[in-house]
Amino acid sequence: MGQGGEIKDGDTILKVEDIHMYFGKVAALAGVSLEVKKGEIHSIIGPNGAGKTVMMNCINGLYRPQKGNIYYKGQVINKVSPHKRAELGIGRTFQKLELYGGMTVLDNIRMGSHIHLKSGILSGSIYAGRTKQEEIKERKYIEEDIIDLLEIESIRDQVAHMLPYGLQKRVELGRALALRPEIILLDEPMAGLNLEEVEDMARFILDINEEEQWKTTCVLVEHDMGVVMDISHNILVLNFGNVITDGPPEEVGKNPEVMKAYLGEEDLYISRR
Amino acid sequence: MSRVWLPCGDYHQRYTEDQGWWQTNVIKGKMIFLLLIVFVVFPLILDEYWIGVANMVGYTALGALGVQLLIGYAGLITLGHAAFIAVGAYTSTLLILKFPWPEFILNLGLAYPISILVAAIVAGLWSVLFGLPSARVKGFYLILTTMAAQFITVDFILTQYVSKIGGRGQAFSLPPGTIKIGPWAMETDLQVYFVMITLLTLTIIMMANLLRSRVGRAWIAIRDNDIAAETLGINIIWYKLLNFFVAGFIGGIAGAFWVCNCAALSPEHFPWFLSLWLVGVILIGGAGIDGAIFGSIFMVVIMELLQMASIPLGEHYPRILFDFAFIKEMAFGLAICAFLIYEPRGLSYRWWQIKNYFNLWPFSY
Repeated sequence: MGQGGEIKDGDTILKVEDIHMYFGKVAALAGVSLEVKKGEIHSIIGPNGAGKTVMMNCINGLYRPQKGNIYYKGQVINKVSPHKRAELGIGRTFQKLELYGGMTVLDNIRMGSHIHLKSGILSGSIYAGRTKQEEIKERKYIEEDIIDLLEIESIRDQVAHMLPYGLQKRVELGRALALRPEIILLDEPMAGLNLEEVEDMARFILDINEEEQWKTTCVLVEHDMGVVMDISHNILVLNFGNVITDGPPEEVGKNPEVMKAYLGEEDLYISRR
Repeated sequence: MSRVWLPCGDYHQRYTEDQGWWQTNVIKGKMIFLLLIVFVVFPLILDEYWIGVANMVGYTALGALGVQLLIGYAGLITLGHAAFIAVGAYTSTLLILKFPWPEFILNLGLAYPISILVAAIVAGLWSVLFGLPSARVKGFYLILTTMAAQFITVDFILTQYVSKIGGRGQAFSLPPGTIKIGPWAMETDLQVYFVMITLLTLTIIMMANLLRSRVGRAWIAIRDNDIAAETLGINIIWYKLLNFFVAGFIGGIAGAFWVCNCAALSPEHFPWFLSLWLVGVILIGGAGIDGAIFGSIFMVVIMELLQMASIPLGEHYPRILFDFAFIKEMAFGLAICAFLIYEPRGLSYRWWQIKNYFNLWPFSY
């Protein structure tokens, strides 16, 4: 797990400008700005309650910030509804698993490719010709690209809620990938995993970020400092809705305020390594 | 319980096979055998009475499929499905009786088939109208809005206004010969049976295909987890309304079939109890399309058996015959209680277990 590769395309893909989000009088985000460049892994860290997930939800459209703008490829997307944002190319995984428990792994991933299929109620009810072809084509893509990448061939026919937690996390990543997003919001993909699963997950994130086929920009919320420091290009540190610092990992690691607020006073790396 | 395993030793080698209708030749054979039974053997061996019972099963199943689509696949709990069946029935009847059909369509006997389609579409749109609140409300509140559909449609619009058309009081009756499909006028129960089994087969095919394509998956996604569905690019409101449309469409087909079964029509055929009854059918039947079918067979046949049992008993306890309607409702309640306690996943789950037992034999692990 070395430092990520060169940034090929340095244009800003996602820009969050001075957003404020209040729940009653509690300021979950108070003027946070973030700029994500295409092709990078941008991590967001901070102690519990710092507003990381709220930030993800704002980018994703599940929350509407009271103030501030969110730009995606130069467009303001504040008023765009979540499903439209998915069509624009913003994928998402969740901290607490939001898989479709009763469905098989394959169906879960298939659900992710919803926006790439076209059948409606009429063509779907006949299920012949184009609908059938597109279902087969999609199946091929899912099997040969996503399932192969994530190494979940053996469980593809199992019901999702019966799987161990680590595999469920992987399936959720697969579902987000089936959307073919340009930017993927990963909300604590390594929480609750053991060391081996964390390493696997970190490799998957690097794969989807670097491989020619995926080239996906990642916004990563994570508590495992070892992983964050190793794979991110930039790190945004939040504390109670305020930005402490934003920059490359080396800088962030040296920042005394970050160390005080988050990393703890004794040791820089609170990690499982 | 979403998956039925292939028989021991069978494997697929192509995606087309795995996504096919009939996964193996054995299954294909079994399904063709089933179709043969319902299309050929039943009409030959069943007498008039049991054909009539089969027609009731079919009618209940068509209604229950719509309810299954709403409750079972999209999680939109409804207690007003009888309203959409009623809309279908009335649309079909009014079209047959009042619409100035061109002579050649009447001669070809296309009026009734066309009216089925129109009735289904009208019922679907009517259902969308009452599905609109589902954009904002969920669960118990949605139950109330669907109950509003029942009372507004049947008890108000149909009883007060639509039934008065023609000035003959409450009921419509369709004179013999008006319901005609091609050269056949619907006169015997056997002919009605063929209409029923054709409509039911087509509806099941339509619904099964929908559920394995994009739209069906979107519905299941909304049922299981609407927030995640939204982040995957599924327009929740649109798909909920689409679900109401298709459920209403199937309800409309059921209603139009009822016209042909009964040759008469009154708002009393679509009480609120029918809506409740259909929900009971799918509770007993369990998940899936087969759940709706098993539930309808069970409920209708049990009620018939109860009726048969009550006739000899009536000699000793005459009250039983007078109060049969109440006994029927009591049995309905009792059946639901018993199923919720002892078989909460319904008949279809039991069927699934039996199938898998044989498919996985001898290696059932």
